[in-house]
Amino acid sequence: MSTAGGPLLAATDLELSFGATPALRSASITVDAGELVAVMGPSGSGKSTLLHCLAGILVPEHGQVVFDAIRIDTLREAARSELRRSRFGFVFQFGQLVPELTAEENVALPLLLEGVRRHDALGRARGWFDRLDLGGLERRRSGELSGGEAQRVALARALVAGPDVVFADEPTGSLDTLAGEHVMELLVGAARDQGSAVVLVTHDARVAAYADREVIVRDGRTTSLLPAR
Amino acid sequence: MIRLGLRLAITGGRAVVARAALIAGAVAVGVALLLTTLAASHAFQTQNERYAWLETGYPGAHAARSTTSAVDPLWWSLRRDGYQGEEIGRLDLAPTGPHAPIPPGLSSLPRPGQYYASPAMVKLLRSVPHEQLRDRYPGSLAGTIRDDALPAPNTLLVVIGRRPAEVAALGGKPITTISTTSPSACTGECAPIGTDANGMVLVLGVVAAALLFPVLIFIGGATRLSAARREQRFAAMRLVGATPQQVTRISTIESVVATALGVLIGLAVFTVARPAIARLPFNGSTFFLQDLRLTSTDLVAVCLGIPIGAAVAARLALRRVTISPLGVSRRVTPRPPSPVRLLPLVAGTAWMVYLAYGSDITDARSDMQAYAYLLGVFTVMIGLVVAGPWLTMTASRLLAGRAARPAGLIAARRLNDDPKAAFRAVSGPVLAVFIATVSLGTITTIAAYNRGSVSAAEGSKGVVVQTMYSPDQVVAHLPDQMVASLDAIPGVRGVAVLHRTATADRWGFFGEVVECSQLTAVRVLGRCPPGASVVAVKPDFGGAIIDNSKPLSDAVWPTSSLTIARATALPVDSIVVDSSGAPATVERVRTLLERDLPHASAPETVSEIRALGSKLLDNYRQLASVVLFTSLPIAGCSLAVNVAGGLSERRRPFSLLRLTGVPLTTLRRVISLETVAPLLAGVLVAAGVGCAMAALFLRAQLDQTLQPLPVSYYVLVAAGLLASCALIASMFPLLGRTTAPENARND
Repeated sequence: MSTAGGPLLAATDLELSFGATPALRSASITVDAGELVAVMGPSGSGKSTLLHCLAGILVPEHGQVVFDAIRIDTLREAARSELRRSRFGFVFQFGQLVPELTAEENVALPLLLEGVRRHDALGRARGWFDRLDLGGLERRRSGELSGGEAQRVALARALVAGPDVVFADEPTGSLDTLAGEHVMELLVGAARDQGSAVVLVTHDARVAAYADREVIVRDGRTTSLLPAR
Repeated sequence: MIRLGLRLAITGGRAVVARAALIAGAVAVGVALLLTTLAASHAFQTQNERYAWLETGYPGAHAARSTTSAVDPLWWSLRRDGYQGEEIGRLDLAPTGPHAPIPPGLSSLPRPGQYYASPAMVKLLRSVPHEQLRDRYPGSLAGTIRDDALPAPNTLLVVIGRRPAEVAALGGKPITTISTTSPSACTGECAPIGTDANGMVLVLGVVAAALLFPVLIFIGGATRLSAARREQRFAAMRLVGATPQQVTRISTIESVVATALGVLIGLAVFTVARPAIARLPFNGSTFFLQDLRLTSTDLVAVCLGIPIGAAVAARLALRRVTISPLGVSRRVTPRPPSPVRLLPLVAGTAWMVYLAYGSDITDARSDMQAYAYLLGVFTVMIGLVVAGPWLTMTASRLLAGRAARPAGLIAARRLNDDPKAAFRAVSGPVLAVFIATVSLGTITTIAAYNRGSVSAAEGSKGVVVQTMYSPDQVVAHLPDQMVASLDAIPGVRGVAVLHRTATADRWGFFGEVVECSQLTAVRVLGRCPPGASVVAVKPDFGGAIIDNSKPLSDAVWPTSSLTIARATALPVDSIVVDSSGAPATVERVRTLLERDLPHASAPETVSEIRALGSKLLDNYRQLASVVLFTSLPIAGCSLAVNVAGGLSERRRPFSLLRLTGVPLTTLRRVISLETVAPLLAGVLVAAGVGCAMAALFLRAQLDQTLQPLPVSYYVLVAAGLLASCALIASMFPLLGRTTAPENARND
C-alpha cells in the first residue's frame, strides 16, 4: 500500500498550538505499510496530538500530512471522517465501546457504518472473537466485560474492516501488565496478519518494545528516530 | 447540608445556571398554564353565580334571598333572544307596588316605556339599525346595568319596564324574591340562559392534571441529568465522606431552587398575562378581570406543592443513579417489564367491548351508565401507562432484531435497556392524546350526526323559525299584513305558516299542516306530493331539520285531508321564514317577528338552535384541544432533557465514535430515533386506542359509527409533535459540541 516505494503515511514539519500553548513544533514522522511505529514521550509532550494529526482528527497549522499519496490535512472534515472510517482503525485507552450494544454489535459497527448487511457484518465480527480469545462473550455488554476483554473487543472493532493503519493511543494504559501484554500480542499479531500498519502511542517502554521503530516526542518535537529494539 | 446545597445551586457556574434556567423555564410554562386553569375554574364558578338572579321564578331555583319586610310582587318574564348567533337575555319586569324586589345591577326598576341594558348591549344597540334590533324593545334606554349583575363583560342583557298585564301576556309570573341559585345548582326547570359550570370545572381539573404530570416528569428527568453531569463534584464529596443521602439532598435542593424560581416566573407570567387571558372567550363569554382570580389555597398549593413535588420527583429520579466515590453511574439494567402489565389495558378494552356488544347498558340508569363507561375509559387510560414500558420494550426488541443501520441498532438497544424511563418521558403526551382522541372522537361524531348534511347546515343559517311552544303562546290568527311584511324584507325567499291540528301524538306533540304554496316557497321544509294542496309536516328544528342525516328539504310529506280554508283556520304553531341568510335580513325578520308576536318564543335560526345544543360539546372540544396543545411541548422539554441525559452518559463513546469517522448525522439519527420514535409510536398507539374507545362508546350508547376526527385535531397533534421535535433538535448543537473530535481526549 506504500506509494511508489514511499511511506504509506508521512507527516512533515507539523505545528499546532492550543491557545498560547504549542503542542507540536516542526514534528515529522513516516510510517510504512505494515510497519509498527511506537510514538513515545512523557505526558504532555504532544504524542497524542501528533497521532490526532496523522489520523486527520486535528488539522495542523503548518506542515502537511500525506496518506497514500493524498494530502489529508487540506481535506474537508467530511472527507477526513470518511477516510478515518474506511481506511483507519482506532484503539484507545478505555470507554470506547457503545454501552447499549453487545460486544459483537460493537465489533460490527464499522462494517454497518460502511453499509455492510447486518447478517454479514455480524458474521465477520464473530470471526474475530475466537481469534482474540473472546469466545463466548459475543452477547455481553461493555459493562459486563473486564478491562482486558473490553480492550480486545475494541481491538477487534479497529481491525474488523481491514484498515491500512491502526492508531492505538495508550491501548494498555488501563490494564494490568499481564492483560496489557495479551492485548499487545494480539494487536501486533492481527495487524501483521492482515498487513495493517500500527501507530502506537505509549509512554511504556515494554509496550514500545513490540514496535519496529520508535519515535520520541518531546516538547512537540520529534527529537529522534530510533530503530526499534 | 441545605446551606451547602443552596450555595452550590447559586454559585455553581454557567452549567448550573443553564440547567437551572432550563428547569425554571419549563416549570414557569407549566405553572402559568396551571394557574390559568385554576383561575379560569374560579372564574367559571363566579360567572355561574352571577347568573343566579336570572333563575328567579323558575321552579329549579330553590335558594332565594330572604326578605324581612312585606314586598310587592314583581311580574317577571325572562326569555332568550339573539343577535347574529350571540345570546341576548331579555327580562320584562312590572312591579305591582313600590316595595317590589329590585334585581341586582339596577338602582331602581325601569318604568313602562323604559329599559336598562348591559354596557355591551348598549354598544350593540347603538351600532346596528333600529329595524334589526332596537325595535324589539319598547321604550327608551334609561340606564346601564351594573357589572355586579352581569356574568361577563360581553353579556348582552336588556331589562324592560312593562305593565303587569303586559308581562302576564308574555307568560311571565309574579315573584317576591330574587334567586340566588346558580345554573349549576338549579335542578329541574331552570332559566334558558347560562350554562352549567360543573362540566367546565371538571374538564379544567383534568387539564390541570394533564399539565402537572408532564411538568413533574420533566423535573425528575432534569434532576437525574444534573446528577449525572456533576459526576466529579459528587464523587469528590463521596470521597471525603458524604453519604449518598447527603449527595441526593444537595442535588434535590438544586432542583427545588430552580423549580421555586420557575414558580415565581410562572406567577409573574400569569399576573402579566391575566388581562389578556380574561379576554379569551373560553366558553363564548369573556371574564371580568376580578373574576379571574386565585385563592390563597391555590397560591399556597402551587407555591409549595410544585417545589415539594419537584423534590419528590428529584429524589425518585436519583434512586436509579449510584453516586460512588469514583463517579456516577446508572444502576445495572433494570429488570425487564413483564407481560402482566398488559392486563389492565386488555381488561379495560374487554369491558368496553362488552358494553358495546354484550350488555343492555342503555337500559340502566343514566348515572350507572356513566360510571360503567368511565370505569372502562379510566381502566384503559391507566392500562396504557402501565403497559407502555412493556410495549416499548417489545417494539425496541423487534427494531433491534431487524435494524440494518447502526443508528437504529443503538437506539433500539438503548430503549430496550430501560423501557420504563423511555416510556416515562412520553407518557404525558400519550395520556393527552388519548384523552383528546376519546373526547374529540365522541364529540365530533355526535355533532356530525346532529348536523346532517353540509348543504342543510349551510342553508340553516338563513332559516328563521318562531315556534309557539306552550299552549298559551299559540295564536289564532297572525296580525294583518304580517306575512306580507315578512315577504317584503329584502332577502326573504318565502314564509310558511304551520298550523296546529287538534290531535297530539303519544308524546304530546301536535301535528302540523301547511299550505303547499308556502311549503314550495320556503324550500327547506320538504316538498308536497303532486296534486296536494295541504300536507301534514313533522319538522324537528332542534335535532334536525334533518331526519337520519337526510336534509329535510328532501322530505315528501303526506297529503292532509284538510282543505286550505280549514287548515289556515287552525291556530298558528310555527312560522318559518327562508331567507338569503344575510345578517341584516335575518335580524330584520327576527325583529319583526318578535315585535308582532312578543309572547311567542324568541325567533331563532336553525343553525342557532343547533349551536345551542352543541355549545357544551364545543366547549369540551376547545378544552381538549388546549390539553393536547400544551402538554406536547412540555413533554418535548422532558424529551430534550432525556436527550441531554443520554448524551451526558455516552459522551465518551460518542466522541470516540466521531473520532473514528462516524458522521455527526449518524449520531443525530441515534438521538432522534431514541426520542422521537417512542413519542410517535406512543402518540399513534394512544390515538388508536382512543379512537377504539370512542367507537365502542358511540356504538354502545348511541348506536353511532365513529366519524373522522376534525382537521384541527390533526393540526394540533402535528403542531405539538413539531414543537416537541424542535425542542429535541435544539439539543443537536450540544451533541455536536460535546462529541467534536477536537474536544475528545482519549487518554
